[in-house]
Amino acid sequence: MNQIKEDRRQWQDGMAKSITFIVTKDCQLACKYCYLVGKNEKERMTFEVAKQAIDYILEREEEFNEESVTWDFIGGEPFLEIELIDKICDYLKQRMFELNHHWFNSYRFNFSTNGINYDSKPVQDYIKKNITHLSIGITIDGTELKHDLNRVYKHSGKGSYKDVVKNIPLWLEQFPGAGTKVTISSADIPYIKESVLHLYSLGIKQVNINVVFEDVWKEGDDKLFEEQLMILADEIIEKEYYREYTCSFFSERLGKPLDKKLMNQNWCGAGKMLSIDAQGNFYPCTRFAQYSLRDKQALIIGNVKEGINKNLLRPFLCLDRCTQSKQECIDCEVAEGCAWCQGENYDAAKTNTIYERSTAICKMHKARVRANNYYWNKLFRKLELEGEREKFEKNKKEFNEKIC
Amino acid sequence: MLKYLVILLDEKSVSFCHYENPVKENKLISKEDLKAGILFAMKENLNIQFVYPSEELPKEYSEIINTIDHSDIKPISKQRADVLICNSVTEFSNNEINKEQVYVIRTKKEDFFTNLSLLKKNIFKVQRVNMVLTDIDTFSEKDFEKYKEALKELSLETEKQIGKGGFSQINILTDRIMLKQMNNCNAGAEVITLAPNGKFYVCPAFYLEDEKQSIGSLSEGVNIKNAQLYQLDHAPLCRICDSYHCKRCVWLNKKTTFELNTPSHEQCVVSHLERNAAKDLLLKTQIFDNEIKEIDYLDPFEVREQW
Repeated sequence: MNQIKEDRRQWQDGMAKSITFIVTKDCQLACKYCYLVGKNEKERMTFEVAKQAIDYILEREEEFNEESVTWDFIGGEPFLEIELIDKICDYLKQRMFELNHHWFNSYRFNFSTNGINYDSKPVQDYIKKNITHLSIGITIDGTELKHDLNRVYKHSGKGSYKDVVKNIPLWLEQFPGAGTKVTISSADIPYIKESVLHLYSLGIKQVNINVVFEDVWKEGDDKLFEEQLMILADEIIEKEYYREYTCSFFSERLGKPLDKKLMNQNWCGAGKMLSIDAQGNFYPCTRFAQYSLRDKQALIIGNVKEGINKNLLRPFLCLDRCTQSKQECIDCEVAEGCAWCQGENYDAAKTNTIYERSTAICKMHKARVRANNYYWNKLFRKLELEGEREKFEKNKKEFNEKIC
Repeated sequence: MLKYLVILLDEKSVSFCHYENPVKENKLISKEDLKAGILFAMKENLNIQFVYPSEELPKEYSEIINTIDHSDIKPISKQRADVLICNSVTEFSNNEINKEQVYVIRTKKEDFFTNLSLLKKNIFKVQRVNMVLTDIDTFSEKDFEKYKEALKELSLETEKQIGKGGFSQINILTDRIMLKQMNNCNAGAEVITLAPNGKFYVCPAFYLEDEKQSIGSLSEGVNIKNAQLYQLDHAPLCRICDSYHCKRCVWLNKKTTFELNTPSHEQCVVSHLERNAAKDLLLKTQIFDNEIKEIDYLDPFEVREQW
């Protein structure tokens, strides 16, 4: 197990290409905040399409020259297609080996799953077979109440909490230190504190939590959000969860002004990533596939037969923070850590462009910054009074914010 | 800030740029819209460029047009205008060439490469020619090589002309020699178009592509959504580029990269081949007090700002 951990650490240090197979657009659930507005039971990837995509990518080693690769499998719910995925992964391993590809020793299979069939035999067989090159995130939103508020079965409308939570111990045994992803929409705000603490109590030490980028926020949500984060901060500090647990709402790299020139990088990795759907179309990120978009046409950058149209990638690879932001964002005194999703920007833009940043989360970000300032001021004072600040700085967990 | 208003007098108004005009039937702008367009330009302080079809205009149209100072853009068959448009090198060469005229030669790469000798023979007979390669987006590596050689030939000829005391402006070769800052088409930023349907468009290409892409009307005024994307400072590649003569065609950008503010690889390379040819010509002739630096790339994408 230590060897696996070490391998993971080394892998994460390098630059990784993220390649996503949208294996199915079906899911057992119909989560209320899900951005995938066009989910369906029909669009399933065939092995032939996956094979063509793999051949296209692996035969262009000079173009795809990142140090490492993450082969992502996404849905819908990817584990609904575990047999296909198993076949794809076998083919990937075989071809990377045969081609003596530099990714053969630096690859990872990655899943975000709802966790419902995590303990099924096909999924478990797959995990055992690929454990040394595997990361899996199970999405659990917190307490049963909070989880079932959104994460409900598509036909019955019944909450899925019980079917997921039963698999958490097995998951943590197989992936110690794994984190979960929590998504907050307007109705979830009152449950943030208890949900994060509940996840800690399940043994999940890393809680990656973020507010949705869509324009769903109501008057007063920012105040409620700030209050929830402050009582969560009190609890984390009082119970000393900060020693072993993380919650991505609190970060030291948050809420400072950003220099226009030196800190002008784009937030999102769209365009550096690649997604493939069941039809064999390529996208700069899954969020540009039609099933993810409310108001805009899919932004297809190529397909497995004709390859990638590099001209269509140029706008993505030229994106920077200021060019796509309003002056208000450029001048914002708490800009640091304010995130955006290129797909949501595109979907919400007044015209067909990726160069118009959506500011729907502005008030929520500012509320987060205030609570975050409170958290660190309180925590540091406590540590200083206890003479523990230096020790904390030395041992503190580095947190890589990953929002999608 | 807007400076120019292009008015398409007819659905069949001649194309003067990258786009094609496939319209077969005449349909004039209404006299009311024409008058309103002129009034709009007067109030907004815009210079008007009227674009004509091959067919004669009714007399009353000419009378309205002459109520305002303007420029005329006409097909070469009209023989006299501020700018005359030809649709190939051969069409240019086969017509009576007037020394004082400014010509636009819309050409495809095949026509340009095949008829280069013909072009060299006639191009120096006029004060200015704007070459428009309408199929830039199809240029291959081989085409880039051919284009580089063609520019070299044009440059040699220009050098000879300068030696004899003459000088004809050829946009793809001599504009960059004279420019010290960006001088692009600027559709959507400085220029807009009034179409025969009484609506405003970024340029005629957007109108002919899809009438729904209007940016306003004579009754409601101009409202360009995401107007900042037409500005140079919102074009990440162009703002670091010194191919100052490049058309920076936002319509071609949209067509090839799906974004108004991002040019295609082909557009950038073609412009840089022209820039480099201009640099060599400037070095040899010193005809203008300008400096064009030696650079080792043809596409600014390779040297784009990264953080």
